[in-house]
Amino acid sequence: MKPRSVTHASFTIKRSFKQAPDRVFAAFATESNKQAWFHGPDEWGRDKHEMDFRVGGRETSVGGPPGGPVSSFRGIYQDIVPDERIVFSYDMDLDGERISVSLTTIELKRDGAGTHLTYTEQGAYLDGWDHPDGREQGTRDLLDNLERYLGQN
Amino acid sequence: MSDHSVAHGTFIVERTYNHPVEKVWAAWARSDLKRQWFGGGADNPPKVFEFRPGGRESSEGTIPNGPTFNFDVVYQDIVPNNRILYNYDMHMDGKKISVSLAAIEFWPEGRQTRLKLTEYGLFLDGLDNVAQRKEGTVGLMDQLGRFLDGTR
Repeated sequence: MKPRSVTHASFTIKRSFKQAPDRVFAAFATESNKQAWFHGPDEWGRDKHEMDFRVGGRETSVGGPPGGPVSSFRGIYQDIVPDERIVFSYDMDLDGERISVSLTTIELKRDGAGTHLTYTEQGAYLDGWDHPDGREQGTRDLLDNLERYLGQN
Repeated sequence: MSDHSVAHGTFIVERTYNHPVEKVWAAWARSDLKRQWFGGGADNPPKVFEFRPGGRESSEGTIPNGPTFNFDVVYQDIVPNNRILYNYDMHMDGKKISVSLAAIEFWPEGRQTRLKLTEYGLFLDGLDNVAQRKEGTVGLMDQLGRFLDGTR
């Protein structure tokens, strides 16, 4: 077992999308829409994803590289204002070890015909398994996926 | 547009208690002890107290002639005598006023215990703010100190 430690860190990512807030919100709000862009690298294959998008509802995503460690994401929605904001807490496990606990806020603001998105995440990274830079990069990759998805649909 | 807003805020409270870590830990881990210093007091125990990862804690209190507050926790990580991580929501008269992530870390220092509470909050729609939350939390950590000093 690794020595116990907690590293506290936050990051903020801002993005502009051409699509209106209701389109961007919809990409987060239904299971089939979210599955189209919220997933790991292609070589991981399809993750096991379930989502109950309402305040108090849960979301899980379990996956990983073939033969490699299993990553588990478990979230709980804490606040939802349609077309404006989504707040959720989540924890991540790697092969059953808890590696982080985080609180995420997604804020959407109309920007002309498009949307300005602010993604703010505060994380507690546990026992040296993961680090904030990696999580921020992973989140940037997901938002790249989201941008491609919105452009194609 | 509506008046929805999110204010992000973070604060840290640190204390050294003149008690061993097992005793400080128990004050958080046991419902019969926590109710004596946390929140509404011993006469208003939490309605739910499930001190385990994935477990919930839920309590409600009304300020005389004032609003009713609801405090709802989900515990996310617990390492005995070492750390507690949980998220919580606060409601005031049924309106959500904040969503927070709290981490409490414990370090034994001889027969004393150093405690560090790190909290990150989203204060929603102007109904609360980080300065008020920090003040309330400082008060709770002082109450914890008095509770520990007053018990064997």
